[in-house]
Amino acid sequence: MVTIGVSACPECDSRVRQDGIEHVCEQCGLILGEDRIDRGPEWRSFEDNSDSVRTGAPLTRSRHDRGLSTEIGYSLRLTGRKRRRFARLRREHSRAKFSSKAQRNQVYAFTEIRRLTGSLGLPKDIRDRACVLFESAQSARLIRGRTLEGFAAACLYATCRTTEISRTLDEIIGAARATKDELKAAYTALNRELGLQTGPIDPREYLPRYATELGLSTTIESRASTLLETAIDSGELCGRNPSGVAVASLYVVARESHERITQDQAAAVGGVSTVTIRANYYDLQDLQNQS
Amino acid sequence: MNRESRRAISREYFSRDRLAAHHFRSFNAFLNRGMQEVVDEKETIDTDIGDKEGQEPVWVELGNVRVTTPRVREADGSEELQYPQEARLRNITYAAPVFMEMTIVRGGADEEEHIVDQSETKVGRMPIMVGSEKCNITGFSDEELIEIGEDPADPGGYFIVNGSERVLMTSEDLAPNKILAEEDTKYGETIQVAKTFSQRRGYRALVLCERNREGLLEVSFPSVSGSINFVTLVRALGLESDEEIVHRVSDDPEVVKFMLENLEAAEVQSTTEAIEALGQRVAQGQGKNYQLKRANYVIDRYLLPHLHEDGIDEEEVRLNKAFYLCRMAEACFELALGRREADDKDHYANKRLKVSGDLMRDLFRTALNKLARDVKYQLERANMRNRQLSVNTVVRSDVLTERLEHPIATGNWVGGRSGVSQLVDRTDYMGVLSHLRRLRSPLSRSQPHFEARDLHATQWGRICPSETPEGPNCGLVKNFAQAMELSQNVEDERTLKRELSAMGVRGIAGLDTLERSAAGD
Repeated sequence: MVTIGVSACPECDSRVRQDGIEHVCEQCGLILGEDRIDRGPEWRSFEDNSDSVRTGAPLTRSRHDRGLSTEIGYSLRLTGRKRRRFARLRREHSRAKFSSKAQRNQVYAFTEIRRLTGSLGLPKDIRDRACVLFESAQSARLIRGRTLEGFAAACLYATCRTTEISRTLDEIIGAARATKDELKAAYTALNRELGLQTGPIDPREYLPRYATELGLSTTIESRASTLLETAIDSGELCGRNPSGVAVASLYVVARESHERITQDQAAAVGGVSTVTIRANYYDLQDLQNQS
Repeated sequence: MNRESRRAISREYFSRDRLAAHHFRSFNAFLNRGMQEVVDEKETIDTDIGDKEGQEPVWVELGNVRVTTPRVREADGSEELQYPQEARLRNITYAAPVFMEMTIVRGGADEEEHIVDQSETKVGRMPIMVGSEKCNITGFSDEELIEIGEDPADPGGYFIVNGSERVLMTSEDLAPNKILAEEDTKYGETIQVAKTFSQRRGYRALVLCERNREGLLEVSFPSVSGSINFVTLVRALGLESDEEIVHRVSDDPEVVKFMLENLEAAEVQSTTEAIEALGQRVAQGQGKNYQLKRANYVIDRYLLPHLHEDGIDEEEVRLNKAFYLCRMAEACFELALGRREADDKDHYANKRLKVSGDLMRDLFRTALNKLARDVKYQLERANMRNRQLSVNTVVRSDVLTERLEHPIATGNWVGGRSGVSQLVDRTDYMGVLSHLRRLRSPLSRSQPHFEARDLHATQWGRICPSETPEGPNCGLVKNFAQAMELSQNVEDERTLKRELSAMGVRGIAGLDTLERSAAGD
């Protein structure tokens, strides 16, 4: 805001008044300064059918054009020649929408990522990040020779890993259009070329999800979490499948508090075999007895 | 009635469940059968796969639809039951997952039809009305409600979208599928018009029957520009002979006289000629075969769609349409002769209220269509890329969710209506109650519409005579009377029709076919 130092008019020495966006002399009408922004109320009519929007939707990385696309809408009022003309315009517009094959692929991958995040119940920012990751994979020319579906699924898997809300490979495969091999090929390429910030998966990331799937209470979940903490600190369970460890810890705690879950149920939820559950079960129990 | 019993009755009327009862009943009916009806109307999703040579067609059959109670899914993947207060505090939507059975079928060209994949999949989330059947707090005692942070006195009847409570305004529309006769002026002369808003499955078509200044009847309906001679149209529908047309309109000698004038001026004499003449109108300058095809299509598709019913053959429906047009003609003539007065649009018998369930039904229909279009696209895309087609991988659940949530959040309903959903007025408790029982006329508030704003005698016992805002909305926004009861659509029209015929009502449209098919079962 332009602040006027003087409180009197330099020409006639009379008082200066602020009028809307202008500082104006009351006597001679000399304009001393002008504000670039009108901070006053906005006088618009919001009567019937007037739109109160001033701008469009925010930009998003999860669209190939960041949401800045032009769309030709429909109107019921148009008839005859004009209507046909707009239909033709719409068709040409949809043809000219993509300037390259890469862009077309991007749209396909983005819809796939969108579908996956929807069906896995992941939040919106994960979707945005996965899309960004896909874009960087594309600009690093990783996709040639691998499948789009695989990359879409791998980008989502990688994003989940880096943001520490892991999903197992099997879960992603269950919802994805890609096969496991395609996903693995894509993920290896991503990991190698882009240097993903991933470490070993913390089994605790799986706990809340598995607990609700097994119908266990939050107290059991938190006790399993403390159990896992000691297990991780002791380094006993290094190199084990984190999903198996997580589900086994829930099984251990549930058994202690006489909640009825079977090894079969636990194995199905964790996507591991009952043998894994048992192996982890004995080790975790030993740990618990030591402490 | 003595004071005590009066008090008892009012207490009942002002109990928590009754205050928003119209919302609950309507929304529950939508959940229980409305949704399934919409899905059954859609029936299948057809794809363009199979248009090419040597390709087997693929389509999706839609089965049962199911809604659970509201649940929230966290980023860590855990899923829990959701209570309204949580939705309010966390600015999330109080919505329940919707599941639908879908079957992908391939074949029919060279191979036999076979099922590619079949499963029940989550298709989206449906915002749930607080206090409705699918709401998690229904049946809770006051103590339990307080335990989860709910107000035991809260009437419910609204939705929670992105944390804000939205109530769907009941709208007061002109009754569809009813003949309304009125006088109109055209070119400075008075003419008689019979109007019908014919409505079926969300498709609404206005059919007009006018008696012009020469005394000739003209009908206009969507997809035909201008109007069509009444006799031509009736003949095209299969009512051929002069005698039968006159007889179907009226036996009144004066009306018969008017009718004979019309028949004399008739352009065509037989059904085939009439359809040809209609074809000339709807597909001018096209080939003869196309003209006939188009004429038949227009008759069956756009003219009086509400007379269609499942399981009734077109032939009979056409005849019913002809009879219906004759009723409209009779109304015009009677009005011209002064035998009846113009229908009163403000009479409450000519009004229908669209409550939240009806509005949600419109919304769900368009959302499902959008979903179907997306599924079609995804299927075609997956097929083109030689992927295994599976139900789980072609449904994008956020398509339906967004289409359902966005209109409730903004109030911009399908069909261009705005302000349908409003933020619940929480000024005080009375404000909430009044807001839930408010209804809105779709008439523009910037125009006078004096008659529509007036208190009509038939509103007695239905609409509060004094509660209406001052200013531009005066008389257009109304409130229910205390003891108002809202009746609902019948579940099964066929049973009703059978019942009516058993009571001696004759000539019920489409009943004979029904009886025959029932006998054949």
